[in-house]
Amino acid sequence: MACKPVPDHVPPEMVKDFSLFTSPGMERMPNGDPHAAVACLHDAPPIFYSPNNTRDGRGTWVITRAKDQRRVLQDTATFSSHRSIFASALGENWPMIPLELDPPAHGVFRSLLNPLFSPKRVMVLEPVIRERAITLIDRILAASTSCDVMKDFAFPFAVSIFLGFLGLSDKERDTFVGWGRDLLHGENVKRTAAALAIVGFIDELAAMRRKEPAGDFMSFAVGAQVNGRPLTDEEVRGIGVLLFVAGLDTVATAIGFDLAHLARNLKDQQLLRSEPDRIGLASEELLRAYSTVQMIRVATKDIDFDGAPIRKGDYISCATMIANRDPEEFDCPNTIDLAREDNRHTAFAHGPHRCLGSHLARREIVIGLEEWLSRIPDFRIKGGTAPITFGGHVFGIENLILEWS
Amino acid sequence: MRIIVHKNKCQGHARCWAQAPDIFNLDDEGYILPGDIEVAERDELLASRGARSCPERALEIDATADALLTRLLFNQACGGVK
Ligand code: HEM
Ligand code: SF4
Repeated sequence: MACKPVPDHVPPEMVKDFSLFTSPGMERMPNGDPHAAVACLHDAPPIFYSPNNTRDGRGTWVITRAKDQRRVLQDTATFSSHRSIFASALGENWPMIPLELDPPAHGVFRSLLNPLFSPKRVMVLEPVIRERAITLIDRILAASTSCDVMKDFAFPFAVSIFLGFLGLSDKERDTFVGWGRDLLHGENVKRTAAALAIVGFIDELAAMRRKEPAGDFMSFAVGAQVNGRPLTDEEVRGIGVLLFVAGLDTVATAIGFDLAHLARNLKDQQLLRSEPDRIGLASEELLRAYSTVQMIRVATKDIDFDGAPIRKGDYISCATMIANRDPEEFDCPNTIDLAREDNRHTAFAHGPHRCLGSHLARREIVIGLEEWLSRIPDFRIKGGTAPITFGGHVFGIENLILEWS
Repeated sequence: MRIIVHKNKCQGHARCWAQAPDIFNLDDEGYILPGDIEVAERDELLASRGARSCPERALEIDATADALLTRLLFNQACGGVK
């Protein structure tokens, strides 16, 4: 934070006045389209320096092209994930696991966690996910011909499945969602308070499960072994906190952007309604076009990256919402084509940190859209209302009021 | 045709499996099993779709394997085969 906005080693001509937080189109606004706003970066050089591109105002290099981002994300020796972003908000220094570990330690924890989140494991959850979607939608239908999709469907749906997965009660859902929101999008004071609350909650849960295992995720974590030894308290915390933060509202946001698109593009809505088999492929295109996460890496050594003098300690941003609109990677990237094939987008990252929850997230999104489209008749954005979107480290949508007749 | 599996590049996205679960087999963690894959002629389109959907470029279509594939690729470039 105390750093100069632009370090001396950055050539002035490589500085660009762009930020995922403060550039035009990134602010909280009605009917915003932050994804279109960042797509313009493909007219700019492939790499530049942004003086203010993290929540706490740090500068980062910005890598815009998909090909270059792949280079960064695969070279974990040069571009490390070890940043302790979460702990540093508390003035502490422990990694979220596996997110902030590098190989080979990273792989040890991935091998531990992968089986719990594998595609086959997620298939088993399908009936529960579907049942949850149907209950919520039927309740909406019975009550009205309009609803706030975020509040009435996307959040309760995604968050309750996630909490169920972790073995947590649904009762405190709103508290959890509030923590998540403050942490990802709040001001510093709120952010620290939320971080403390989450850590306290996870530590307490871990202690409870140590005393009395309950066959849920935390019980698994406290009983698990890596390299022939049990996990330390700090490791259990690192895993618990990460899952909590990574899984809480990401899926709801994706569903929100997807249904907003379908409400505004009636042809696309018609297509998926009449041919639900297309929803799987379409949801990949929507993930591409409305990607939400910026990945940050830190340089472990000085390196020249296509003429950019990256120095040890510099931050490097690989924003999925930028790479997934790269015209060299996708034909007509700003056209949303629900039948797009060979869609190798990176909404769930690229390289070893590929989203652990991606299979669960994908099933939730597809099932959510299937059940919504098969139950709710032709819907549009309610007259006089406007969805509020915002940019930042994680893009989001706050409200989405739909109506149908 | 044959698909060359670069196991070390696989990061478990399971996009190949999502396209063709009978062709691309995953281990318990959800990563591709090692070993190249011989694809029967009737499965070629599906298999090449699966390979082309791998975000990590871990699945390489062995273009030397047979001429059929050349035809397939050629047609696609013209928007022929869908
Ligand atoms: C649409 C929803 C989601 C999106 C777009 C998404 C996106 C991402 C991205 C881009 C990363 C890489 C971050 C980085 O390398 O810096 C990531 C990592 C991760 N995600 Fe997700 N995610 C989603 C849902 C979930 C869910 C539901 C869970 C948990 C149940 C989850 C758990 C994780 C974990 C544990 C990691 C760290 C993986 C590692 O470092 O090896 N995510 N996610
Ligand atoms: S799509 Fe690629 S990365 Fe994913 S499981 Fe198949 S081979 Fe592995």
